[in-house]
Amino acid sequence: MTSAENRCSLCGEPAVVRLTEPERRLCAGHFIEDAETRVLVAMKHDRMISPGDRVAVGLSGGKDSTALLLLLHPILPTLGASLVAITIDEGIAGYREETLRAARDLTGELGVEHAIVTFADLFGKDLDAMLVGREAQGCTVCGVLRRRALGEAVKRTGATKLATGHNLDDEAQSVLMNVLRGDLPRLLQDTSTGQPGHFVPRIKPLAVLSEKEIVTYLLLRGYFRDLPECPYAGTALRSEVRTMLAGLEHRHPGTMLRLMRFRDGVRRSARSAEPAKALSTCRICGELTSGEVCQVCRLLGRDGE
Amino acid sequence: MQIILPDRSVRTLSCTSAPIEEILLEFGINPTTVIVVKNGKIVPEDVTATEGDELRILRFSHGG
Repeated sequence: MTSAENRCSLCGEPAVVRLTEPERRLCAGHFIEDAETRVLVAMKHDRMISPGDRVAVGLSGGKDSTALLLLLHPILPTLGASLVAITIDEGIAGYREETLRAARDLTGELGVEHAIVTFADLFGKDLDAMLVGREAQGCTVCGVLRRRALGEAVKRTGATKLATGHNLDDEAQSVLMNVLRGDLPRLLQDTSTGQPGHFVPRIKPLAVLSEKEIVTYLLLRGYFRDLPECPYAGTALRSEVRTMLAGLEHRHPGTMLRLMRFRDGVRRSARSAEPAKALSTCRICGELTSGEVCQVCRLLGRDGE
Repeated sequence: MQIILPDRSVRTLSCTSAPIEEILLEFGINPTTVIVVKNGKIVPEDVTATEGDELRILRFSHGG
């Protein structure tokens, strides 16, 4: 296709993207509008927001959470909800300083309230110190502790919902990973409903946009920053699944969306068949857990093992 | 045409015209994992690049 033929389906300006379902080419302005509309439609369809909600946006300062804050900032007031940004500073040298600066710049520019919770404050030491000698477990340890830290930040800010920047690629990768691990409970786990007194409902407004669409959106709006990658990033399985899915998506466009529909279908059929699983509270910290002691207390050695 | 790869190295291709998607695949790059900027403007990968064009390939990092 020549540059002269590559025109926006709506206005005839030069197109920046070609999208499918429905097939369309869009210029910069119409792509921004299209992405914002898709997010808003998904939020309304899934009833992510109720009037009076105080939504905490998990703002790492990276691309996805930056796009999330930019998108939610104008939308939430129209839905009768308010916004607060929360950032977890795990203490990862050479990585978190820059993303933290990006998060501060963005909330300052938009005039959004910003709460920062540090691992050092919550758990007594930062992630780098905890991982000395077991760096390979970085993602697992960080994932467990970050979830707890996000929960704590939600409590401190009085938020009623937690919005995270998970995109379509992240979500589709998780579905496939759960299938490959044979982890049906994890595939069925739905965090969008929350647990009264323990977890507020989680929402993922960006799950309708691919990683590529999010970066395109940020580039077009002038907010893309080439930030360093987390030194602990990527488990072997996720990295393999990412490459495999990217290949499939290229050869069979729509693969990731179809995986999400598959997961939703499995959840719908399983929900009516399976009784709710009983959860208890951790005997050490009192947080919700499936066993006697939660993962956070075990990781921090609070159980004496 | 000139290609600026994600690692910022610059390559020169001597062909007169080719679809960008083919150029990416020749470099072993999956088009879904990059954004292509042709002569300063983002373009879809099915657009053809011709002699004299500059293509910048942006790979977006993960872990954000």
